[in-house]
Amino acid sequence: MRPGHHRPKWLVVFRKELRESLRDKRSLFLIGLFTLMYPAMLGYLLNQWIDRATRPEREGIELAVIGGAQAPTLVSQLRQKNITVSETGPLEEEAIAELLRGPKIAAVLRLPPNFSENYQAMRPARIELWYDSASDRDGRRDIEDVLQAYGTNIASARLLAHGVSPATLAPVQVQRYDTGSTAARSATVISGILGALFIPAFMCGMSAAVDSTAGERERRSLEVLMAQPARPWELVVGKWLAAVVLAVVGVTLNLVLAHVVLSWLPLEEIGLSWRVSWGSLFLVWLASVPLSLFAAGLQVAVAMNAKSFKEAQSVLSFMVLLPLIPSIMVSTLDLKTAGWMYAVPMLSNQTLLKETAKGAELGFVPFALTFLCSALAALLAVAFASWRMKSERYVLAV
Amino acid sequence: MIEAHEVRKQFGAVKALGGVSFSARDGHITALLGPNGAGKTTLLRTLVGMLKRDHGSILVDGVDPEQDPMRVRANIGFLTDQFGLYERLSTREYLAYFGELNGMGGAALRLRIDEVSDMLGMDDILERRSKGFSQGQRIKVALARALLHRPRHLLLDEPTRGLDVMSTRAVRHALSTLREQGCCVVMATHVMQEVSHLCDDVIVIAKGHTVAQGTPDQLCQRTGIANLEDAFVHLVGTDEGIAA
Repeated sequence: MRPGHHRPKWLVVFRKELRESLRDKRSLFLIGLFTLMYPAMLGYLLNQWIDRATRPEREGIELAVIGGAQAPTLVSQLRQKNITVSETGPLEEEAIAELLRGPKIAAVLRLPPNFSENYQAMRPARIELWYDSASDRDGRRDIEDVLQAYGTNIASARLLAHGVSPATLAPVQVQRYDTGSTAARSATVISGILGALFIPAFMCGMSAAVDSTAGERERRSLEVLMAQPARPWELVVGKWLAAVVLAVVGVTLNLVLAHVVLSWLPLEEIGLSWRVSWGSLFLVWLASVPLSLFAAGLQVAVAMNAKSFKEAQSVLSFMVLLPLIPSIMVSTLDLKTAGWMYAVPMLSNQTLLKETAKGAELGFVPFALTFLCSALAALLAVAFASWRMKSERYVLAV
Repeated sequence: MIEAHEVRKQFGAVKALGGVSFSARDGHITALLGPNGAGKTTLLRTLVGMLKRDHGSILVDGVDPEQDPMRVRANIGFLTDQFGLYERLSTREYLAYFGELNGMGGAALRLRIDEVSDMLGMDDILERRSKGFSQGQRIKVALARALLHRPRHLLLDEPTRGLDVMSTRAVRHALSTLREQGCCVVMATHVMQEVSHLCDDVIVIAKGHTVAQGTPDQLCQRTGIANLEDAFVHLVGTDEGIAA
């Protein structure tokens, strides 16, 4: 460094705070865990989902039947419904449970030995349906439908034999229509997924912001710092930017990893889309840098007023939820994307990414709005923090 | 040279300083004596411009700390009752941080850190992080920080508290050296022995007022009491807050 040419004070503070934060192994570990875990989890869950969606429509339900010889019609009706029936000898309850825990059998149908006797005597003949509701092989509905139809058939035949029309047995007829399409579901899912990608802006810089303000106050080193020939805003800006760096790194890692994961998965299979190029991802990222500026600024402004690290941390963990409120409201109220959404920090970033993922042509304004609304909020937060640090009341409380 | 005239400061209904006047000369060590709660901390904070006075005037080498706090602070080494160390920084990094905040840098800063470290005998802890430092080591680091930028003025709040005999001697020796170099040293202390051995001037404040200023001998003469401690108690009008 040339003599007489001094490093700006905020830069001195910034470098020191960043160095200290990078030496805090525990908070670094948490940042790493958080940024890596979310994309990994996302990839795993979506992969599972795709896997289930692309499995052949009806592989056939494996059903074990005990005493099936007593009801050959039932067995053949089950087979007609594409249910694979295997005859089994008598089994105890535990053996049945064991069978259901196995990889293949979805349900067990047990006809007690007195089934034929009751059937012949026209007494209600009991059929036991054993299933495991905790298992994901859910064929119960299909089997119950067959049993229902079987019962109705027999009842009709018996009524007919007595000269009564079987139609009396069916005063109403239910027909099921399922309109739930994957596309409708995907809109909610994708906005939820993408919304979480910006949370690191609030998580990753938090510990640095808290440690350099509330922590410094708790350790009683802030008074010394404030007696140095540096202006309050220089101290605030240095501490703020150190937290910003960590937040930006967190968001960047999260976005890049999520991009890699989402581009790699065949999302079309479940009606989701991720039509994002590296170029447009960069633009979204750039427009989102101020979100980290805002998050860290807010955290510094709040944490500097707390008396201890713990106090600041508990207040801030609650505050992480606040920026999520607008996006939660938008998804609960099912609002269509509108211009104002780009003027709300966090919601704007989520909306921007969501629309980009759909492949929409957005133009310049949404990007600029997203950038500016957070940048403005960040400036306000930092200005407030500087004003607060300058006040005599704050000096006295230090 | 620090000159204060009729400095008053009130927090709400509490009158912290009710009229403090004194002058601390260059090349002199001035003791600031007063029972706990007499307003010493408020006075020191007002001198560096962290607090604004309600009344009166303060000049540090002719500069008002309220008008130009940055210039005044650059010329003051301030050791508060808190050391303000950072556990994740080594002593050298800690000193470099405050050196840079005071506009130092490069080779000059490195050289000065070694110099101060020599002066206070702290070579063994220079490269260590401050976690686990003893009270004596902590106060040495803090004192080194206060001396680092060669301030013309030193405001020290109990600089020898918690130090063992060897470290106390090292600190006193360092203060004598600074006096010879022409520094204006103001130190708050409760150790009467230190005052009579080390200090040229004594300011006694009680309940926010200057009660007396002069050399230790002058104070004894004025009260007609031979022992400085008894003279101090007499001036303050109570025997509270005396540690030694």
